[in-house]
Amino acid sequence: MKIMQAVRTRACCAALLAAGVFGAASPLLAHHSFTMFDMTKRVTLIGTITSFEWTNPHAYIEIDVPDEKGVVKHWSIELGSPSILMQSGWKFNSIKAGEKLTLIINPMKSGQAGGFLSTATLPDGRTLSNGPQRPQ
Amino acid sequence: MTALHVHHLIRKIGLALGSIAILAVAPASAPAQTPGNTPDFTGVWGIYRGAKGADPKFTPPAPSPLVLKPEYDKPYQARRAEESAAAQRGEQLASSGVQCIPYGVPSMMSIAIYPVEFIQTAKQVTIISEAFSEVRRVYLDRPQAKMDDVAPGYYGRSVGHWDGDTLVVDTVGIKPAVSGYRGMPHSPQMHIVERIRMLSPEILHDQITIEDPVVLEKPVTYTLAFKRMASDYEMVEFVCDNNREYVDDKGVVRLKLHDK
Repeated sequence: MKIMQAVRTRACCAALLAAGVFGAASPLLAHHSFTMFDMTKRVTLIGTITSFEWTNPHAYIEIDVPDEKGVVKHWSIELGSPSILMQSGWKFNSIKAGEKLTLIINPMKSGQAGGFLSTATLPDGRTLSNGPQRPQ
Repeated sequence: MTALHVHHLIRKIGLALGSIAILAVAPASAPAQTPGNTPDFTGVWGIYRGAKGADPKFTPPAPSPLVLKPEYDKPYQARRAEESAAAQRGEQLASSGVQCIPYGVPSMMSIAIYPVEFIQTAKQVTIISEAFSEVRRVYLDRPQAKMDDVAPGYYGRSVGHWDGDTLVVDTVGIKPAVSGYRGMPHSPQMHIVERIRMLSPEILHDQITIEDPVVLEKPVTYTLAFKRMASDYEMVEFVCDNNREYVDDKGVVRLKLHDK
């Protein structure tokens, strides 16, 4: 597996969209605000899923990500709730442990190995977002 | 034709004549308030904010100002300032939602973008929010209890009646710990009146007026708008059994990370 962990700090449109949808002042939040995540940064993680938790109030992807030297670091990535994710095409069995995945996340401001999902590229090549798609 | 057939025939004719008689007298004896004449809210409704180009008559009117009595306004504003300062530091202060504590009435009617389901019968309207699977029951055509007789809770006691095409819902008994509209404090004397009406087959408004003679200088009114969702939409289960957010000893929200 190609080892890659790239950190980018650019205000790309997707990040701005995410910030708009999930920002602290957003009326779209049911559980908590997203101030703990840096919505202006995006980190790409390529690794192996250790678990996919289809749960409320959030779903989670647990993933092992090796760096350039092969040293594996474990990340916990928070997603929306199943209801929100289903609007973006997710299912409870979209991914499973052992599969390889590419994630783009907004990392935690604390520097810990955690973040909020922006997009996930699945083994079948589909890229799924983490935001609501339902028109309002 | 046997005697039994004759009996059934007479019974059917009798039932039919009875139905006609009921239909004939219905407008005079029981006008718009009868279940048959009331609009049917049954279905799933999503929050409607009125996208660009939407018909302005369907977008909710602006809320009235939230004016608290000075002794309540001071700590309320102080808390708002603390929350803003925390957000500037990249932190969120604890809230009920973070701890998966129910939103209760009236906040459960508008949790983020999650829909609500109305189930309407002649005697009761049941409202279920998808987020946190909260349930409230509105008992129709029953008198409201005295405030002192209602055990304080998240949903209180709601009774309703039809005023033409509008369902008027009266709620008391919301305990003060339940997070209020825009985080406002409230006393055991809070009284909520909702006027719920369909503006079209697809749009429903819930005008909510909160009265609280202890906390509010004057009642506050705001309106939620909903759009009917596809008839085949199935509400998604929402049980808060994997809450990784927790509140630290400083009252700040943290995320529990897994090592593996």
